[in-house]
Amino acid sequence: MKHFVSGLAVAVALSAPAFAQDDTKVIGVSIPAATHGWAGGMNYFAQEAVDRLDAAYPQLDFVLATASDPSKQVNDIEDMVATRNIDALVVLPFESEPLTGPVQNVKQSGAWVTVVDRGLSVEGIEDLYVAGDNPGFGRVSGEYMAQALPDGGKIVVLRGIPTTIDNERVEGFQQAIEGSGIEILGMEHGNWNRDDAFTVMQDFLSKYPEIDAVWASDDDMAVGVLGAIDAAGREDINFVLGGAGMKEMIKRVKDNDAMIPADVTYPPSMIATAIEVTAVGLVSNAPVSGDFIIGSVLVTPENADDFYFPDSPF
Amino acid sequence: MGDVVNQPVLELRRVSRSFGPIEVLHDVDIVLRPGRVHALIGENGAGKSTTMKIMAGYQPPSQGEVEFDGQPVRFQTIAEAEGLGISMIHQEFNLAEQLTVEQNIFLGREIRRGLLLDKPAMRRRTRELLARLDCSVSPDRRVSDLSNSDKQMVEIAKALLRDTRVLIMDEPTAVLTRSETAVLLRQVRALKEAGTAVLFTSHKLDEVSEIADDLTIMRDGRVVWSGPAAEMDEHDMATAMVGREMSDLFAPKLGQPGDLALEVRNLNVAGHATDISLSLRQGEILGVAGLIGSGRTETFEAICGLRPGQGDIRVFGKPVQIDQPWQAQALGMCYLTEDRKTRGLLLDKGMHENLTLQALERFVDRGRIDRAAEDDALTRAIADFDIRGHRDSLIRNLSGGNQQKLLFAKVLLAEPRIVIIDEPTRGIDIGTKQQMYEFIRNLASQGQAIVVISSEMQEVIGLADRVLVMRQGRIMGELQDEEASEDAIVRLAMGVVQTTPAEEKTV
Amino acid sequence: MNAIIRTDRRLSMTVVGPVLGLIALLVAGALLNPNFLGWDNLTNVLARSAFIGIIAVGMTFVITAGGLDLSVGSMAAFIAGLMILMMNKALPGLGVGIPVVLLGMATALIAGLGAGLLNGLLITRLGIEPFIVTLGSMGIYRSLVTWLADGGTLSLDFTLRSFYQPVYYGGVFGISWPIIVFALVVIIGEIVMRSTAFGRHCAAIGSNDQVARYSSVRVGHVRLMTYAALGMLVGVATIMYVPRLGSASSATGVLWELEAIAAVIIGGTVLKGGFGRVWGTVIGVLILSLIGNILNLTDFVSPYLNGAIQGAIIVLAVVLQRESKADG
Repeated sequence: MKHFVSGLAVAVALSAPAFAQDDTKVIGVSIPAATHGWAGGMNYFAQEAVDRLDAAYPQLDFVLATASDPSKQVNDIEDMVATRNIDALVVLPFESEPLTGPVQNVKQSGAWVTVVDRGLSVEGIEDLYVAGDNPGFGRVSGEYMAQALPDGGKIVVLRGIPTTIDNERVEGFQQAIEGSGIEILGMEHGNWNRDDAFTVMQDFLSKYPEIDAVWASDDDMAVGVLGAIDAAGREDINFVLGGAGMKEMIKRVKDNDAMIPADVTYPPSMIATAIEVTAVGLVSNAPVSGDFIIGSVLVTPENADDFYFPDSPF
Repeated sequence: MGDVVNQPVLELRRVSRSFGPIEVLHDVDIVLRPGRVHALIGENGAGKSTTMKIMAGYQPPSQGEVEFDGQPVRFQTIAEAEGLGISMIHQEFNLAEQLTVEQNIFLGREIRRGLLLDKPAMRRRTRELLARLDCSVSPDRRVSDLSNSDKQMVEIAKALLRDTRVLIMDEPTAVLTRSETAVLLRQVRALKEAGTAVLFTSHKLDEVSEIADDLTIMRDGRVVWSGPAAEMDEHDMATAMVGREMSDLFAPKLGQPGDLALEVRNLNVAGHATDISLSLRQGEILGVAGLIGSGRTETFEAICGLRPGQGDIRVFGKPVQIDQPWQAQALGMCYLTEDRKTRGLLLDKGMHENLTLQALERFVDRGRIDRAAEDDALTRAIADFDIRGHRDSLIRNLSGGNQQKLLFAKVLLAEPRIVIIDEPTRGIDIGTKQQMYEFIRNLASQGQAIVVISSEMQEVIGLADRVLVMRQGRIMGELQDEEASEDAIVRLAMGVVQTTPAEEKTV
Repeated sequence: MNAIIRTDRRLSMTVVGPVLGLIALLVAGALLNPNFLGWDNLTNVLARSAFIGIIAVGMTFVITAGGLDLSVGSMAAFIAGLMILMMNKALPGLGVGIPVVLLGMATALIAGLGAGLLNGLLITRLGIEPFIVTLGSMGIYRSLVTWLADGGTLSLDFTLRSFYQPVYYGGVFGISWPIIVFALVVIIGEIVMRSTAFGRHCAAIGSNDQVARYSSVRVGHVRLMTYAALGMLVGVATIMYVPRLGSASSATGVLWELEAIAAVIIGGTVLKGGFGRVWGTVIGVLILSLIGNILNLTDFVSPYLNGAIQGAIIVLAVVLQRESKADG
């Protein structure tokens, strides 16, 4: 609903002067644009939280900006400070390095800073840190894999875009399967992209005649992996483990699909949590600072209902 | 004229040059001396260009020696030759089209003050140089906006800036009008008096007689005559170049025009031509004279839909609206451009593709191009128009005369009934010229209606049944065959009433 | 005659260069992994090359005529999104069956043709640089698909997808449809380029559009047709793409335009126009796909360096062709 986002920003901008003298506070939210599935979900939850909180707290105004690259995000944040004089900033940095300086400036201007998911390169800037647990995501996935393959087995791994996030997840996964007898035949980057994952999986299938399971590490990649397995008609693969909690995948877990027995969350809704906690802190002066780490949870047919949001785009 | 006058500055001794297995120059000797103008003449393909390129360091000789100031030299780069004061001006200019006149003249020799360019100094120098050449172009004009003659002047100004000791010019007057040629020749004399050695090629033998001190004639890659220019008259030169006696250049006129083919009433071409009215009959050759820039080309381009224009046009009696060149062709009217290298032919393609481009649909059989028919067409064109050169060579590697013949064949393949030919013999040798005149006359005798636009007065007079003279975008007058003399044309073209010697006029 | 420089040697190198590159890759692949030359792997590679390949054939014409189209990747994503929406919407009325699939295919072809014509009209009628026009439409289609998908992913109805899937996975005589369609497009493209007036006119325009204009070639019309044909082929590629995974998102078709352009250039078509060959483009596409395939099949280098290897081979393939030009 990107068109709606910009509409909202304009509406907020127009109504701002009327409230300027009284106690209205402005919260700026800066996030990356919806360029892949998870980010799309994150955009949805951010928008939804802003709408809900805007209605709930008349004394709060929100400015939401999405950026398609780090420099655009820096511009967005500078504009928020210069033209809207924000009291708090909720930011999911595109990349850590380039955003650290600009966010530090916001902090020095006296505003509250909430950083989401990706930490800045200098510690102690943010008042509040809300993040998913990337090593934990890998660990939970690895533990499930070890439990599902009690006698060990041969697996292949699809990695995301080469980043710290991806490295932390893979390290966590490898630690968790240590000693379980599981052998990783090969790892390649599928870039959190369906088409790339399809291609990589096809080549894995050509290369390895016997594969017991696949850690796709992401639900978008799991879609591509499943497509490749179907096409090849291979029966040796027992299951595919994705990750992040895409609704279609949760649905398949819920429906007891044998190929998708479980999923591991990395909830895009963490942005909503961050915005909500920031809003509460601003309105009530309640002590909300600190680190909030949202753990990754294993989704199984038993608890799948709690993680199924049919209206979310993700 | 003795060797004692002054020492040679640049000399080729028994130079040969091969490209692969083909030897294009054989044992060429040529001597340039300071303060003398040396003309190098020969038919297209005689080896003039290669000779000049070797002298200017563009290509090394395969055998033989290049000597500068009596010392053998072997240029590795053009810059080395330039460093010794040898400049070459190409027929296709060597200018950066997107830069201004001033930037071009100073390209690579910018005057600096500290880190920055000293623009006022360069501006001053540019104006001085252009003034010396009687050239009124602004230093700020982009070269792409200049006429050919102005580009020529910029090239010469560039050479002047570089304190040139040897100036080599490849057909400098081919694109110039008479008055511009007069300016150029005057400048060449000035350079000569200042001690520069000048080598130039030209197909205009009257110029050669007028300005050259020394003369070298080449044919088929060899020097066939060399000596003082005064020893040869124009007729002798032509005979030596062609290797046979030259008969009369022009075929006899017919003077039997048929029905009206083309009528134009009140045509206006924004910025180029005003209120043009003319008519053309079948079997007739209409000459169009005028200075370069008088709107001749633009007028006929507008008639053929190549540029916008407003006016009434009738083709074979029917009123027509022509906005695109293919519409004109569908009505049987084709324009043969003066600019064969950038508008006429695809230089990097072969003869087949070029020959059939204009009439390609005639070679399509059930959707596919019939290559055998194409090949037959080429065989016929080669025979009909005496095109020489390997069938599979790129157009770029053909001589100018052969390119022009191919262009002619290409347009005629579309079987036009009205043919507009712009500068039919620009930059081609005298033997080929004669052939072109014959082709054009033959075409007229078959009933085609023909317009010949030309800057060469002799050509217009010798070829046309009737001559229109244009000046500043208007038709100044019409001369019937018997009235058409150089004098009458020049008077109309210059807009003067009294007879004045054409050569001394400047624009 | 004056300097007739024979061109045979250079021509032969531009012909042999890409073929040599392809053979070298095939040999390397076979040596590095025994499964490489297996039927399954080769058909996989051919089928996945089909999308870029079909688009690249169209791109060959555009580039040969002196143009460029940067929008094809986004266009494919947009058409895929539109197709899925259309089919999902028509599903309750038409039910799962051939009509709804035909409707989807028609949507793709019409949308592709329309998008191509739009690019072409802006370029030929308004005289805007192709780079700018298609850079603009690239951004437009990319955001349109994101908007259609609400930032997420558009998925084809599951039962419909199962019905439609054979268009990617099925085939005749063990050769899947994408490969067959790709081969047909290539054969037609090669004939059009080599032996029709249209192909000849494209080369003439790309070589020198003034000469073409003065030769009464309908320059604007021919250019327009190259963009329309490319758009149409993007539609064809999308028809093959959608049944594979049954989804479209803003991540669909990213960088396809550059892959297609790279394939065209590797194949020996001249980037500034004037000379093009369709079979060369096919070799270019195969070279690009095989590099990825071989890198996946071996543990030869760090996967982080895949891009570097791909880049080096692209440059090398082009250098090979130019090698003998030095003395030209």
